[in-house]
Amino acid sequence: VPVTARSLDAQYRLLDLRPERPRPALVPDPPPVESPQREEVTKLRAALAGTAAAKVMNATELMQALEKVRREESLPTTLAAFDTLLGGGLPRGKMVELTGRRSSVGRFAVAISALAAATSMGEAAVLVDLGDHFDPQVAEADGVDLRRLLWIRPKTLKQAVMSVEMIAATGFQLVVLDLGLPPVRGRRVPDASWVRLARTAEAHGTALLISSPYPVTGTASEAVIVAERTRLQWLGRGKSPRLLAGATTELRLEKHRHRKAGETTRLSLQVVEGLPAR
Amino acid sequence: MTRIACLYVPMFPLAARLRSEPELLPEALAIVEGNGGAAHIVAATRRARTKGIRPGLSLAQARTIVPKLIARGRDPECERTAQEALLEVAETFSPRVEDDGDGVVFIDVSGMERHFDSELELGKAAVRAAEGVGLPARCGIGASKLAARVAAELPKSPTVVAPGTEAEFLAPLPLQRLTPALEAASTLQRWGIGSIGELARLPESEVASRLGELGRELHYAARGIDPRPLIPRAMPPEFREGMELEWPLVALEPFLFIASAALDRLAARLEVQGFACKRLELTMNLEPDGYHSRAIDLPAPTRDVKTMLTLLRLDLEQTPPGAPVVGFSLAAYPDRPRRAQLSLFGPAALSPEKLATTIARLISMLGEDGVGMPMTVDGHLSDRYAIATYSPPPPPDIHRGPRKSHGLLAVRIFRPPVPVEVITRPSRSDEPGEVQIVAIKSDGDIAGDVRACAGPWHMEEGWWRSEGAARAYWDVELARGGSYRVYRDGEWFVEASYG
Repeated sequence: VPVTARSLDAQYRLLDLRPERPRPALVPDPPPVESPQREEVTKLRAALAGTAAAKVMNATELMQALEKVRREESLPTTLAAFDTLLGGGLPRGKMVELTGRRSSVGRFAVAISALAAATSMGEAAVLVDLGDHFDPQVAEADGVDLRRLLWIRPKTLKQAVMSVEMIAATGFQLVVLDLGLPPVRGRRVPDASWVRLARTAEAHGTALLISSPYPVTGTASEAVIVAERTRLQWLGRGKSPRLLAGATTELRLEKHRHRKAGETTRLSLQVVEGLPAR
Repeated sequence: MTRIACLYVPMFPLAARLRSEPELLPEALAIVEGNGGAAHIVAATRRARTKGIRPGLSLAQARTIVPKLIARGRDPECERTAQEALLEVAETFSPRVEDDGDGVVFIDVSGMERHFDSELELGKAAVRAAEGVGLPARCGIGASKLAARVAAELPKSPTVVAPGTEAEFLAPLPLQRLTPALEAASTLQRWGIGSIGELARLPESEVASRLGELGRELHYAARGIDPRPLIPRAMPPEFREGMELEWPLVALEPFLFIASAALDRLAARLEVQGFACKRLELTMNLEPDGYHSRAIDLPAPTRDVKTMLTLLRLDLEQTPPGAPVVGFSLAAYPDRPRRAQLSLFGPAALSPEKLATTIARLISMLGEDGVGMPMTVDGHLSDRYAIATYSPPPPPDIHRGPRKSHGLLAVRIFRPPVPVEVITRPSRSDEPGEVQIVAIKSDGDIAGDVRACAGPWHMEEGWWRSEGAARAYWDVELARGGSYRVYRDGEWFVEASYG
């Protein structure tokens, strides 16, 4: 059989077939098998870019491609006023800074909303709470899945930065660092620390939100948003209204690497109902 | 056909000691057995041997030859752990392993030819694996334990005795190779028997009639016949490393330095077996007598030495043993390391080992109260909370979108509440309560005239207990900016800030 096959092959070579004409094969190609695909797989393949989908051959490559796609997605806080400024939410692998003075409202609310959104998606999230201001009851009322939240309470800014670096390298998808109210506990850390944090976040695809009373990250952050011009909303008039109903605050895009700065939105927040002493 | 490999560590007491103290390798070091005048050398390093130190010399004689000779007593703990390490290496090749003591291990390698190109390659792999745990072993492979043992003792390693050629292999070797401490050796020498082959050529019945049952066994051995079967040992339930110290240790740092090396060895042994440490037990022998032991439970099975050392340091700093330490042993309880399941459709799960390591490091930096999963506590006081060990549930299988936020005004709790002075005025007829807040005074930033104030809301909790609370709350907006939740419980406090 091999001898016959070789001679046949030699004869076909001598025939000098034109390239467009299919060359006769001793063994024809098997017909393509239509494998039943799960709906999820079909969706996943559809989600990939055409070139990437063609290249993906096995599960490892598929996961790598999905990771690439996932990196490009944002992690929404579901607060439209905040997400709009960032083009959809907290970018994965980037550091975003939200600043606001003591009198402004909204910094902590945005942080809690980001944690609530991430944990509701099943992602593990971290709050590094330098001021030790976190109240589990309020967070749970706002939708945070406390089982997926790691709460870290450092004593100094240096410890806080070190904690964030360690945690981001572990693979958490959202890390929120809240520096509390001024004066920030502990001394200032070198600017290089923030650059290192940004690089760690980028290396591990972590969305990093820094909430601080004054700008700290310098040029290391992807975007800086300022919360200002807060107005409390009271039910009733005069100096002794009946109830605190909520607050509105203006969010201004101070800096963004890919968007035009200066855009503003208005964030409206309402008071928790059914809280203690209400 | 049975094939048996023998792993043999020459000068085992020395090898075991050097495994614990590798920095002594280039020194002139001798291992000594016995006390006082009866102390004699049992093994010595190459440098000592080149200067004339031989096993059997008394310590005094050896010191005469090399005055700066470093002498170490035989350390049973070191030797036990080295033997354990050797057995664990053997078990990576076959589950049927026999412990023959003093640096000798037999491995049943029958059927292993499918995994290695040749028995020589198998022997090389075994030697490499033993070197990986710090033991310079030799390897011999044969059809019987005797042939394998004799082959392993040869300087050329590994040595493979082909099946059926045991007698030919043994024949040219000196008789001492067969049984080094043989009483009948002098008798055989008088007969003019020098090699194993010469003994094998003698008639069995004649040897047996002159030397008795011992002679018969010796003749069998000389012909390469060893009927002893391999007796496998049971799996040890724990991994243990430790050593006796030459001098008592008082400070923590030197102890941790030695413990770190022991943990390194422990981690290497665990890795060989595919295990991780779930619980670490430390037993310290104290001076003049007594011992101190403690156990550290790890958040998740890990082999990370840095983590284990950090936890050890933390534990020893909190509760020091209270007396100088003259010896210690570290036992690791093995457990299978947890692996994270990758997901195509849902969020990626955290690696349990990595998470455990990170949390352990954070705990060492911030304390146990500083890291964990927040939990709510029954009751109405806002500053109450609980922290539990962080152990997130597995992520969902399918990616799901975020739940829409309620957009609530968050509060920043002050722990502890900030004491302030408050200026009040009597409430008017259309205002609730008895007083309304006009201004807040304090040394800190929370001070100034009040722009708007709502309240009071009364809250009473645990009135039947001595630590019960009866508070009246107000929401306050300061004219200079800032909104706070203020309460009166005898004195005035700021409980939280709206943020």
